[in-house]
Amino acid sequence: MQLKNVIDSPSGLRFMLDKLELQSGFARRSLLDMEMFTDTAAIQGSYDVLRHFARFLETTDRARVTTLLFKLQALKDIRTTIKNLEQHATLDDIELFELKHLAILAVDVKKLLTEHGMERVVEIPDLDKVVDILDPDGLKIATFYVYDSYCQQLKDLRVQMRQHPELQDELLLEAGELELEVRTDLSKQLCAFAPVIRQALTALAQIDIYLAKAAQMKQMGLCFPVISTDGTTRYRGLFHPQVKEALEANARQFQPVDISFDLKPTLITGANMGGKTVVLKTVTLCQYLFQFGFGIPATNAVIDVKSQVFFCIGDEQSVEKGLSSFAAEMRNIDAVIKASRKERKLLALIDEPARTTNPTEGAALVAALLQVLATADMSLILTTHYDIEPGEARCLRVKGFEDGVMNYSLIEVHDGEVPHEALNIAEALGIDTQWISQARTMIDIHAKNNRLL
Amino acid sequence: MPFINEILKYSSLSIVGLEKNTGKTECLKYVLNRMPVNTRRIAVTSIGIDGETVDQVTRTQKPEIVLPQGMYFATSEAHYKLRRLVSELVDVSDENTSLGRVVTAKALTAGKILLSGPPSATGLIRWMNQMRRLGVDLTIIDGALSRLSSASPAVSESMILATGAAYSANINTLVQKTAHVVQLINLPLADEGLRNTFGALDKGTWWLDDEGTLNELSSVTSLSQNIRFQGMERCRTLFVAGALVDSFIEKVRKNKDLKHVEIVVRDFTRIFVSPQLFRLFVKGGGRVTVLHKSKLIAVTVNPTSPSGYVLDSDILCEKLSEAIELPVYDLLKNK
Repeated sequence: MQLKNVIDSPSGLRFMLDKLELQSGFARRSLLDMEMFTDTAAIQGSYDVLRHFARFLETTDRARVTTLLFKLQALKDIRTTIKNLEQHATLDDIELFELKHLAILAVDVKKLLTEHGMERVVEIPDLDKVVDILDPDGLKIATFYVYDSYCQQLKDLRVQMRQHPELQDELLLEAGELELEVRTDLSKQLCAFAPVIRQALTALAQIDIYLAKAAQMKQMGLCFPVISTDGTTRYRGLFHPQVKEALEANARQFQPVDISFDLKPTLITGANMGGKTVVLKTVTLCQYLFQFGFGIPATNAVIDVKSQVFFCIGDEQSVEKGLSSFAAEMRNIDAVIKASRKERKLLALIDEPARTTNPTEGAALVAALLQVLATADMSLILTTHYDIEPGEARCLRVKGFEDGVMNYSLIEVHDGEVPHEALNIAEALGIDTQWISQARTMIDIHAKNNRLL
Repeated sequence: MPFINEILKYSSLSIVGLEKNTGKTECLKYVLNRMPVNTRRIAVTSIGIDGETVDQVTRTQKPEIVLPQGMYFATSEAHYKLRRLVSELVDVSDENTSLGRVVTAKALTAGKILLSGPPSATGLIRWMNQMRRLGVDLTIIDGALSRLSSASPAVSESMILATGAAYSANINTLVQKTAHVVQLINLPLADEGLRNTFGALDKGTWWLDDEGTLNELSSVTSLSQNIRFQGMERCRTLFVAGALVDSFIEKVRKNKDLKHVEIVVRDFTRIFVSPQLFRLFVKGGGRVTVLHKSKLIAVTVNPTSPSGYVLDSDILCEKLSEAIELPVYDLLKNK
């Protein structure tokens, strides 16, 4: 699965990408085309490199960093040209210009990184020979034409052109033939370098991506995660950067939360507006960030590698597909169950399943779902307002209102009992008092009748 | 010619034709041949295709663009391959056009070229910035108003306007119509505060109240008879991100709360208001200002229309110059 397939996940992954300050469009494309890491070594390797770049940003003079970033802005996607070169085509002026441009950029960036002891972190192959071939006069500037020094005859023709403009069209035809010969010869010489040119292109895009990720870590206060070895994922001080930014724009603060989960199902209950959905969003976001090698929005994170991530959030936009919200939700959860029978190491986050149906059947569906998924090799986090028997599941509850202030912390409880705070919260929101007080009366009557029975 | 020295005072110039065959290409050629390419770096491009040997619409002869040695130029990949000169590539843009990417090169010999530059406004601005980075002192943009191009020539600092018999075959009408466009080009810049507020808005109609709060005006349709919105009596400024048209200005003019309002538009190319209506609006106390403005250096005329009709060049120059208070040149005659 590529990053571009999950970028619009409701977890808010796109926000992180939009905030990533990449220098070139090619780096962005490369990042979107990136396959999700599902291999521990690959993730570790990627974070090791990222650590080097974070240190580089920390310790390097700002002007030097700016120079490097500025250079990377010139990175262009020249894969088509490299492909033509590999297929032994005779390149035209524009293609040769592109190769020279890339080669000079690669040499420059390599030199700069070498000065900071970074040459082995992301290795850029040596393209000095490519530069030499395309820069016969040793000018070291990124411009190109079929230079006079490639061919004496061509040089003579051009001198004539300037002396006799009236003969130009004729002379240009003749010169065109000679230029073609030179370009054919250059293409032949360069053909052997196609693989290293391709490597250099990839390496430069990677450097752009690592620099942007490292800058984002500093800017958003993200942390380096540790890879879990026991199947448990533990976050301390977890936050959602997008929600945090939105709150801060309104002079409010995001309360970071701690959460951990393992291969047993986890059931989260809690008052409305207690941030349950935000927790699921953030955990999903972090799992993606982890498996695409980004910094993690937490003070501390130990994360288990998964093979696939599911995030089922109630309000799917399935109106276009002609599905009711219930039908859409059922199908999404069905996909999780089917996958749990085939794949190993899933992470599934399901927000208030079966909430749009009657409480009797809804509660039964949720309890049964917990049982069905309990034995699978997966981490499952589920939120609900239904009173259900948790079985094997671990239960977490949002602390809820304390002295009129919402405490979003999660505490471990030993049953799945749900808090009854909906009316208090509605009251605090300033909802119509007649409505709320009549509801309260009904609950009281109901409770009295139950007692009488 | 006096206006060559004037051009060199600015870092960018656009040459704008009011209509096809108003002599814009002649004017471009005239300017290019007089540029000091040995002492300054000068780059030329076109918004839209230019340099066709025969006009695509009217099939009349069109002068080819001949570049002097040493000049930089930007054109599409397809047209670069057809160049009739020796040139050195200095830049290849990321932007794709129907004719390939836009490439910039330096002419190492004089010669002929088909110009077709960045097709969009952002592409044009990006190219101009890139040229500045490469140390270019002056960028020249060949642009037409009648073409369907989103790139506006008004992003340049200075401008030359080409008009002529192709725009109108009657001297008085031609003078009037040209004077109207000149008036629009010379519209004052909006205050810096307004330019910052409106600069990033690329669509919709917006208004500012007397305290400077920005609101979007959602319901201006051609169907509604009047403009009416909450807080209208406190509205001081309207910003029209798209085109400013007759029906809108008419509604504003007839509204007693709005008739003294300042209407801000992106640049003069967005105004499609008849001269009469524009005059009435201004007379009634309204004001129109722009976010981008070019300094109009001169106006050139081509007295010959594509249908063969020829106006009297001297009378035309004199009448027009009197109406717009700017120098007017017939370049073919003054050669």
